[in-house]
Amino acid sequence: MKPFKSAIAVAVLSAIALTGCSSSDSGDTAGAAIQCTPADGPVTLSFTSWIPGIEDVVDVWNKANPEIQVKVQTGPNGNSGTYQNFFNQLKAGNAPDLGQVEYDALPNFRVQDGLTNIAACQDVADAESTFIPWAWNQVSFGEENAAYGIPQDTGPMALFYRSDLFKKNNIAVPTTWEEFEKAAVEVRKTGSYITNFSQNDVNQFAGLVWQTGDTWFKNDGDKWNVALTGTGSTTVADYWQDLIDRDLVSSFPGWTSEWDNAYNTGKVWSWNSAVWGANSIASGAPDTAGNWSVAPMPQWKKDDNTSGNWGGSSTVVFNGSEHPYEATKFALWLNTSSESLTMLNESANLYPATTAGLDLPSLKEGVEFYGDQKIYDIFAASANQVSSTFVWGPTMTQTYNSVSDGFKAAVTGKGTLTDSLKSAQEATIKELKTQSIPVAE
Amino acid sequence: MNKQATSPSKPNSRRREPALTYSKARGPREQMLPRMGAMLIMAVFAFYFLIPIWWLFVSATKSKGDLTSTNPLWFSEFNFFENVGNVLTYRDGVFLRWIGNSLAYAGGGALIATVLAGMCGYALAKYSFKGRELIFNVILGGVLVPATALALPLFLMFSQVNATNTFWAVFLPSIVSPFGVYLTRIYAGSSVPDELMEAARLDGASEVRTFFSVSVKLMFPALVTVFLFQFVAIWNNFFLPLIMLRDEGNFPVTLGLYTWNSQINQIPELRMYVLVGALLSIIPLIIAFLFLQRFWRSGLGAGSVK
Amino acid sequence: MSRTELLNAEPAVLENRKPKNKFKKAIVLFVAPFGVLFLLFYLAPISYALYQSFLKVDRQGTFGKAKEVFGGFTQYIAVFQNGPFWESIGRVFLFGAVQVPVMLGLALLFALLLDSPLVRGKKFFRLAFFVPYAVPGVIAAIMWGFLYSPNLSPFTEVTSKINFLSADLVLWAMANVVTWVFVGYNMLIIYSSLLSIPTEIYEAARLDGAGQLRIALSIKIPLVTPAIIMTAIFSIIGTLQLLAEPQVFRTFSSAVNSTFTPNLAVLTTSSIPNIHLAAAMSVVLALTTFILSFAFLKFTHPKGN
Repeated sequence: MKPFKSAIAVAVLSAIALTGCSSSDSGDTAGAAIQCTPADGPVTLSFTSWIPGIEDVVDVWNKANPEIQVKVQTGPNGNSGTYQNFFNQLKAGNAPDLGQVEYDALPNFRVQDGLTNIAACQDVADAESTFIPWAWNQVSFGEENAAYGIPQDTGPMALFYRSDLFKKNNIAVPTTWEEFEKAAVEVRKTGSYITNFSQNDVNQFAGLVWQTGDTWFKNDGDKWNVALTGTGSTTVADYWQDLIDRDLVSSFPGWTSEWDNAYNTGKVWSWNSAVWGANSIASGAPDTAGNWSVAPMPQWKKDDNTSGNWGGSSTVVFNGSEHPYEATKFALWLNTSSESLTMLNESANLYPATTAGLDLPSLKEGVEFYGDQKIYDIFAASANQVSSTFVWGPTMTQTYNSVSDGFKAAVTGKGTLTDSLKSAQEATIKELKTQSIPVAE
Repeated sequence: MNKQATSPSKPNSRRREPALTYSKARGPREQMLPRMGAMLIMAVFAFYFLIPIWWLFVSATKSKGDLTSTNPLWFSEFNFFENVGNVLTYRDGVFLRWIGNSLAYAGGGALIATVLAGMCGYALAKYSFKGRELIFNVILGGVLVPATALALPLFLMFSQVNATNTFWAVFLPSIVSPFGVYLTRIYAGSSVPDELMEAARLDGASEVRTFFSVSVKLMFPALVTVFLFQFVAIWNNFFLPLIMLRDEGNFPVTLGLYTWNSQINQIPELRMYVLVGALLSIIPLIIAFLFLQRFWRSGLGAGSVK
Repeated sequence: MSRTELLNAEPAVLENRKPKNKFKKAIVLFVAPFGVLFLLFYLAPISYALYQSFLKVDRQGTFGKAKEVFGGFTQYIAVFQNGPFWESIGRVFLFGAVQVPVMLGLALLFALLLDSPLVRGKKFFRLAFFVPYAVPGVIAAIMWGFLYSPNLSPFTEVTSKINFLSADLVLWAMANVVTWVFVGYNMLIIYSSLLSIPTEIYEAARLDGAGQLRIALSIKIPLVTPAIIMTAIFSIIGTLQLLAEPQVFRTFSSAVNSTFTPNLAVLTTSSIPNIHLAAAMSVVLALTTFILSFAFLKFTHPKGN
């Protein structure tokens, strides 16, 4: 049958065409800084983000900048699908000009050659000093002449706690982890839990490790060093393992109705969380309004002032964008202008990554849900205590999955948190090798 | 070998009236125990199948606070219309747009898929030609391929022609139904008599004309079945749209709800919207079932009957 | 009743074995539209995935640019050494070995009851049992997640004592969701097959004094066996491709990891992103599915060709 033969030929041809196109990636200057020159005429940029209310902010920009129009597209959260789309689009060469990428995913995108180094843009060099130093470090990878994105928001951590319950039961609010453990025993006697260990929030755990000044990865330029089992990590893991073993903390998976309910009904009394968590409690536990307060994170050493970070995003210019100059201009406006920062804070509770942003009027007021406490003062202090040394790995999706799979086993009584860090360490090294990323054993 | 009903427009025409004939043969008293047993089994399982739907409906009528704090299987303050209103107006009524998109993807896609699969299955059944079995087996093999394996290559292919993030990127792959070819082939083989085709030829009708005027009618139950299956498959599919689409305006309702569900951390009201949206999204399918029920029941068995 | 050869069905064909096929034009017209689309949207992507599975990446430096080079069977070796992937295959085997018979047993029972004179209100039951099929997998899993919850479920008396989301039970909790969605669908396939059995077949049996149970066991079930085999094949395929349920359950159960089912492992791997390994996994999964379906057919039709 001729038609079928020719049809098969078409299929073979199209397959060849496909493979030909996909492997035609040209150039090998990964991460080299680009030229940053304005375009001649009007420009339209595409931007993908999952921040609620981002359209309204972009509208404000579009009205003021008829020459640089931004088309915004929303999608699921990064790890729920948008990152995968970015990777696919980068492979296909049709990524948007701009995208939202969390700090922990930046190395992953850079190693896949997805990010444009916009350090050559004068605006970026000028703006560098307005950002909180450790946040800038996340986008520059600690390198000179490097900017793989503009920091958008940060997630400095603190302790949210039920002030009414602590007071009623005469338990002092812990300021160190040692006190936290003692308080946990007291709280458990009342039938409740001091806090919840959420096995799927590996980045919360990373925040706790971050507080110790340790890091999970190092990159000396020649090789990656995977350090999931460093002293800081194991200290934190052993500490929480002990609380889990003694049934002093609950282990609801985070962000479920079950978890909301535990907070709403007073079954769990505190949460070591980031600044954006303020809204999560308010909406997840509406019946407890007015009874919460915020205190600085418990410390490993008395009178220390250390803090961790959980979350935070940057706005990146993807490789292949034809208008890095304009894209950078927009990204800077989005993340530094008080107009935009105020809107983002109102609609999505984003906490600015600029030093000036910490003084936004809306961040100076008392919050009703927290008994009118000026909670953002605590977070502003926390934001300045976060260490600059924490580095994320180049296959973070895989690392998170490995750690999380181990944590899940640990809370169900199979293995320990330290075991999971060990197996994640091995899995990560293995993954780096499969992707032929140089790694120290 | 048992033949499929030859008059598909009345699939049950040869059907016995079991209740009557049986009770004549055996006394009513002997029937009591098995009847009660049977009804009990059916009632228990009806409860099992319907309770989650009932729960979804009751939840959709509640305010957010009542959702976790009141009896999950009974109404508290009735907020249904307010909830529906909220869902329909959220972000300029994007939900209605998603429903519309889903109807277009699933309705249009299933219709074309049915016609194409019907033609192919018919040809494979009623004409003999070289390579026929090979083609059929290759098509059947298509059923075995995991969706995850197809989606990413498809994305890269559509990227080559700059067609990702368009209606067509989801629509075109949806109109291929290997299962439909399988089903219509089996059904056409047993329900379209050769004599009828010969008669049509003697009347001077072309093959294509014969197919559309005579054979389609005989194959109708199978075609309706294929349509329904493909409709449900496209309606439920969210993996392909997830990979293909960027612009919320093109989303089908499953992807839209998935997106909302993934944003609950940031916007907790969405938990309620996901529940209400889920309820609203299954209503069109139930209507489609009811509407097509009388046709497709007789088509369903076709795949297994030779 | 003849055997059914599911994959090799040989329907009645026009006696037309002349070397030149006079219907050539019509055949092309009928087959080509589907054929072309099948080539484009099935065969081409599959070929592409196959091609990808034979590549690997190469790079220099910590942030070096990746180059795709021919890797031979590197990815396949990695698949065969990938413990979690094979664990996931073992898990869905176990799942299928229990869930598929239970689901089809129930479907057969309901179909026989609907076909018997014992049940009143058939229209209602038919629809009630079929409604879950209208619920997309993702939504069904979210709903059942609520129903399993120890504190929020309507059935807290049960769920607070038995944790359905624990490591021991979560696989069966998922099996229940799949059963819930698909029993009605399979029931209808078997039921419509029962409807197509001519009445005369029963007459003789009834005259011989056979009861309904007897008729069901010795006449109806053998006659609908082909339908059951078909539903079994599709259930096996569906089981190996489980994705939506574990993906949703992952968000609220500690016992569901990122490689719980083979398809989830593929998805997890491709989101690293490591699409070469993911492609190789897909190919292995498709081959496993094929072998299993084929073995099942051979098993049920030992003499089939």
